[in-house]
Amino acid sequence: MSKQLADLYKQGTLELLILRLLSSGNLNGWDIMQRIQLVSGEVLSVTPGALYPALHRLEARGLISASWGPSDNNRKAKFYGLTARGRKQLDTQRKQWEQFSAAVALILRDA
Amino acid sequence: MNLSDLLRRWRALTHKAEMDQELDEEMRFHLERDVEQNIRDGMTPEDARYAALRSFGGVDQSKEECRSARGVGLIDNVVRDISYSVRVLFKSYAFTIVVILTLALGIGANTAIFSFANGILLRPLPYPESDRLAVIDEIAVNEGGNSMGVAYPNFLDWREQNTVFEGMASHFGTGRFAMTAGGTPSEIRGSRVTCGLFEVLHVSPILGRTFSIDEDRPEEDAVVILGYDLWQRSFGGNPNVIGQKVIISSRPRTIIGVMPRGFRFPEVSELWVPLAVTSKMYTRTDHGLETIARLKDGVTIAQAQTEMKNIAARIYEQNPVTNEGLDVTVTSLRENLSGSYHDGLLILLGVVGFVLLVACVNVANLMLARATARQKEFALRAALGASRWRIMRQLLIESMLLAIAGGALGFVLSIWALHLLLTAIPIDLPFWMNFNLDLRVLGFTLAITLLTGLIFGAVPALQTSRVDLNDTLKEGGRGNSGVRSRARSLLVVSEIAMSLVLLVGAGLMVQSFLRLRRVNIGLNPKNVLTATLVLPRAKYTQDEQRAAFFKQLTERVRTLPGVEEASATGTLPLGGNNWGRSLTVEGYPVAPVGQAPSVQHTVVTPGYFRTMGITLLTGRDFNDADTKDSQNVTIIDERLARQYWPNQSPLGKRVRFGPPEDNEPWFTIVGVVSAVRHQRMQEETRPSVYLPHQKIPVGGLTLVARTSVNPHDFIGAVRREVAQLDPDLPVSEVATMEEVVAESIWQPRLYAMLFAVFAGGALLLAVIGIYGVMAFLVQTRTHEIGVRMALGATARDVFRLIVGRGMKLTAVGVMIGVGGAIALTRLMHSLLFNTSATDPFTFILISVLLSLAAFFACYIPARRAAKVDPLVALRYE
Repeated sequence: MSKQLADLYKQGTLELLILRLLSSGNLNGWDIMQRIQLVSGEVLSVTPGALYPALHRLEARGLISASWGPSDNNRKAKFYGLTARGRKQLDTQRKQWEQFSAAVALILRDA
Repeated sequence: MNLSDLLRRWRALTHKAEMDQELDEEMRFHLERDVEQNIRDGMTPEDARYAALRSFGGVDQSKEECRSARGVGLIDNVVRDISYSVRVLFKSYAFTIVVILTLALGIGANTAIFSFANGILLRPLPYPESDRLAVIDEIAVNEGGNSMGVAYPNFLDWREQNTVFEGMASHFGTGRFAMTAGGTPSEIRGSRVTCGLFEVLHVSPILGRTFSIDEDRPEEDAVVILGYDLWQRSFGGNPNVIGQKVIISSRPRTIIGVMPRGFRFPEVSELWVPLAVTSKMYTRTDHGLETIARLKDGVTIAQAQTEMKNIAARIYEQNPVTNEGLDVTVTSLRENLSGSYHDGLLILLGVVGFVLLVACVNVANLMLARATARQKEFALRAALGASRWRIMRQLLIESMLLAIAGGALGFVLSIWALHLLLTAIPIDLPFWMNFNLDLRVLGFTLAITLLTGLIFGAVPALQTSRVDLNDTLKEGGRGNSGVRSRARSLLVVSEIAMSLVLLVGAGLMVQSFLRLRRVNIGLNPKNVLTATLVLPRAKYTQDEQRAAFFKQLTERVRTLPGVEEASATGTLPLGGNNWGRSLTVEGYPVAPVGQAPSVQHTVVTPGYFRTMGITLLTGRDFNDADTKDSQNVTIIDERLARQYWPNQSPLGKRVRFGPPEDNEPWFTIVGVVSAVRHQRMQEETRPSVYLPHQKIPVGGLTLVARTSVNPHDFIGAVRREVAQLDPDLPVSEVATMEEVVAESIWQPRLYAMLFAVFAGGALLLAVIGIYGVMAFLVQTRTHEIGVRMALGATARDVFRLIVGRGMKLTAVGVMIGVGGAIALTRLMHSLLFNTSATDPFTFILISVLLSLAAFFACYIPARRAAKVDPLVALRYE
């Protein structure tokens, strides 16, 4: 991953991605990591060192909640899911991101 | 922060172990999934495990970040840091004990002195709304503003004419009364007061009433008010005591009131009788009353002062002769009471503050040395994800823990030290001084404890957190020792400078005190017993009775085996009582009362000069022939003789005493004696005249007896002689003359003692500090020393190198200290006797002594350096 993308992550993009992935169902940390890589077509990746603190931060802010359950390989894993507040937050952030990227795209095309 | 947030944080805090376990499990799960994946991709289990760990990155760092993400990091970490610090401090207990003791001594000394100052300068006086109480006094303008005390008629005019005071009352200070209750006479401290005194103080009796205005008249004054303790002691707290008759100084008086518990005024008085004088008995030239008044709400001392000056000017216009040269002053009661302690206490506070600073510097030095030894520990923690702030906080927490332990121990020490300090004060402490523990003292201790922790903790914390991680972790990294040894050198220099200031201060105080003690007061205090007797006027109504009593008593005491001479005096030198009277010399112009020279007027019995060792220079002593009916004679001191008759004999010349317009009889001079310092050892005050007791038979005299052996052995015998003459007469203030002299200079002695103790402590700390730095220097530079020696440096060169470095620091410290001392000792000026605040002898002596001490502190490490074996030194590391 390039330096610029890493910076984007730091600025909360990683959190937005986590919220989006969790909006379609509960996932554990490993799943989230795999999905980010998979869905982005291997363009984006995240290290555990960045992912887990982000998860705990989101949990601390009440945007996601955690529960323990069996994973698909039948082991005990910690699953994260969106809370009502998290859903709202996702909507706002998503709108902001779309506005922002549309604006950037507009400039890139027309300017 | 909402409720669920709080709950979660609380859970995080209380279920820390559980949550840590969950975190572990979460991470393990992740790693296991990675491993599984890798195996599926075809790796061997071992390779799969390695790859998973590698791709995960720092597991512990991630965990740490997750913990801080949970938002309970701060409290949680502080709790962990504290428990970690406690463990670390326990492990290096030698260091911990030294630091805590150093701090405890510094903080204890400060708390003790602060409690002392608090009791005198800060605590509210034990009277309601005491900030509105003021003392009014009359002063003699031409005698440099000496207090005269108030004349009764002036007081009456003030009370009537002023508009600034709510009330005003006068009293005669604290006196002695004999009260006979249940057979034995006891001596009670009491006061003669005008009506309205208790109202001015806003204190009401718990039983009965206070004095009425009628009882201010001499014929109606047979009443008395008791203090609570006296009432408990002598009457068992009997509530029916009001209306009972009691004999006070041989005069029956009716008890009309009992004052509340804890009330005393002035100083220690616990019995009050009406002043009951008239303007005829006490004219405008009879000064000596003390006047206290309560300012009306909102009136300032300055406003009251202005008004009182106007009133005094008006009185002067109507009484130009008697009130010539008088002025009136208004001061707050607090200032009036504590004024004489003010300077000394502030200086003492400064001194102990310095001692604490030196202690802080020493502890900071120790902390730095320790931090150096712990460099690797911190570097390791930094490598494991601890931030710079976290390491600094850890060090600050350690400092605070040490400070708090030191503060707590210091607080306990201070209670003991204050007790010691108070027992070193030989006088009866006035009632208003209260040294009990209060919130102000606790707050002060807490504040200086925290401040101390910050001061000595900040330097090492800043220094250590600047550590370069890579440098330090490399084997033998000495990267920062240069910076740190510069910091330590700075600390040593400041320590030496501060100690020098303290030592110079102490040197000046001690020298001043020694000079004071060597002062020739004009008499020989060795082997003299003194005891005061006050004959009650009600029983000894006639002059002859009083004269005869003391004549008999001195004769009886004189015949006791071991007593060489016995006599009595109206004013014992340095005993705290004085009687000043105006002097008129025959042949010199008569001056108005305010401008007439004042002399110390002492009534004595024959043999007084022999008893006290006062030299009779010319003429004769009084003898039994100097009676009431014989010629009026007086003996003057050499100073008065020199002043008026510099080139001729004063014998046969005549003088008279009292207000010039009173035309008192003339007294013929029959002798001249050497000068005696009656009032203060520090200075010669007014010259003295002596008069025979037979001529002026006052009721209160101090018996003095010169003995051939320890005067304490005669106390019983003297008491027996008194009891044989009058069994109801209390004997008070029994002391040797040496004790009286020592007591008169208790303040300079106490200051000199405290200064010496504190400065000695600072010196000790400074020497330990220099030693520590030098030893550290030698230890860290062993390698370099080895190289030097290998290259041909002799042991002597090395010795010189180390000592030279130490002495360079000392020299800088001494120079700064001398500058500081010159600036600061000037503040001590008012405490010094015959000693200049910049006394060069003291400055040089102290500088040399301190340098010598510093030299010895460098000597041991330097010797060790000189013995370094280059082979061993180079192999080491």
